[in-house]
Amino acid sequence: MARLYGLLWRLLLVLVHVNRAFISWLRVRLRSWKDRLWERAMAALLLPVALAGFPGSDQRKLNHNPDANANPLTGNRTSSRRSRWLSDGRSLEKLPVHIGLLVTEEEPSYTDIANLVVWCMAVGISYVSVYDNHGIFRKNSRLLEEIVRQQQDLLGIDGAKYNVEFLSNGIDKHQHHVVSCRPTVKVLSPEDGKQSIVQAAQQLCRSVENKERSSKDISVTMLDILLRESKNIPDPELVVKFGPVDSTLGFLPWHIRLTEFISLPSHRNVSYEDLLGALQRYSACQQRLGQ
Amino acid sequence: MSWIREGELNLLEKISANVLKAGPMPKHVAFIMDGNRRFARRNNMERQEGHMQGFNKLAETLRWCKHLNIQEVTVYAFSIENFKRTKDEVDGLMELAKQKFERLLEERDNLEKHGVCIRVLGDLNMLPLDLQKMIAKAVVTTRAHNKCFLNVCFAYTSRYEITNAVREMAWGVEQSLIKASDVSEALLSECLYSNNSPNPDLLIRTSGEVRLSDFLLWQTSHSCLVFQSVLWPEYSFWNLCEAILQYQLNYKSIQ
Repeated sequence: MARLYGLLWRLLLVLVHVNRAFISWLRVRLRSWKDRLWERAMAALLLPVALAGFPGSDQRKLNHNPDANANPLTGNRTSSRRSRWLSDGRSLEKLPVHIGLLVTEEEPSYTDIANLVVWCMAVGISYVSVYDNHGIFRKNSRLLEEIVRQQQDLLGIDGAKYNVEFLSNGIDKHQHHVVSCRPTVKVLSPEDGKQSIVQAAQQLCRSVENKERSSKDISVTMLDILLRESKNIPDPELVVKFGPVDSTLGFLPWHIRLTEFISLPSHRNVSYEDLLGALQRYSACQQRLGQ
Repeated sequence: MSWIREGELNLLEKISANVLKAGPMPKHVAFIMDGNRRFARRNNMERQEGHMQGFNKLAETLRWCKHLNIQEVTVYAFSIENFKRTKDEVDGLMELAKQKFERLLEERDNLEKHGVCIRVLGDLNMLPLDLQKMIAKAVVTTRAHNKCFLNVCFAYTSRYEITNAVREMAWGVEQSLIKASDVSEALLSECLYSNNSPNPDLLIRTSGEVRLSDFLLWQTSHSCLVFQSVLWPEYSFWNLCEAILQYQLNYKSIQ
């Protein structure tokens, strides 16, 4: 009897996996079908305009500056992309000030993460935290290099105004400008979670040991300030989780008390539309804050 | 209405339970029982009635958990943030809690028979004194039971719980019982209200919200999180099975 139930359970899991694989296949097909349809529609609509010889500034620039270093076509494309992303951000009812990108998949793709970070900044999000539960992103500077590369690709040469500050551990706190309009990227690992709470607790206990304060003085606000100072960021309003694992895997336990969690199937080949979809879902969330 | 529901599962439920039990089962499940007021609005009831239905659903869920061999259940009954609600609603909830704990004490023989141990976690000194006394009685009466455990988070937030644990450790340092260098992750866990329980394997939040709302933030850092859109008073056995299946699918990756 037990064997029969075991078999039925395995069958159930297989059915769920097949169902999920089918849905993700369908999603990919639908997207590529939608893209092709859009391309065809655009071509059909714009062809008569092109044929009528509508004079565009792009055309003129091309004729006059064939040797320009910065390809004007690319330049125009990146600046129109940039303004589109910025207006997308403005059109949302609410945009998170701090977003967390939680990667639960085993082998992270640095290019895709870098894309996500750049899109987040372009849309107007001030703080982006990147986290994986093995601490892979912290181990090397590959992510930093990739982000700089993608910044140039996606935002154009003067994407330098999105100068990014990389904070990877508490020691950097003094380098962070409190009043800064420059987007900040933080790379987090599990040590930033429970460990930093324990470190704050040790600090408070040491001050009690040194008779600098009494245990009765310890309050939620005090602990919060300590935890905020070592990272100096507002709590993340939104965490976008990539991958099939349904867990926070140790992501900043203290800071996520009111964080909305939105899941996307994977960070590999993620598109700007996927991120925008998540941001739109976030803007529809209503918090009652206990009331 | 009673805390303990008797009754077996029907045939289909029994078969499904047995199929699920062939896989890894969560031993400790936590519930954020959200959606009582929306349920009341949707069904043209008073808010208080929505909360009553919510309590009934809790009792039923405990019955299902018993049949699924889930030994420990933690529920988020009242947050410290909920004190911000209107005085009427807060008083109504306190009154409901008082009635339920009174009922619990009346049923102590039944609780003993089923071996149910009730614990109440939170900053209980924020509650009215008569409710505190009733809670204390209920907890003391069921203290020795050990077949299954129900933790009710009342006047609770996770940040208060963690802060309280830090305060306890600081007190220990003040009394020279421990040194500041003894403070560790393990010691902090021991000082939480939930120190008698293992971490939840599965956290379920109903009503479609996708946040933790300051509930067991420390304890659920590696738990399977399942967000379900059903409103709590409408929660069904199948919703619970769906959540457990989700846990089973995540089991290997979370280990």
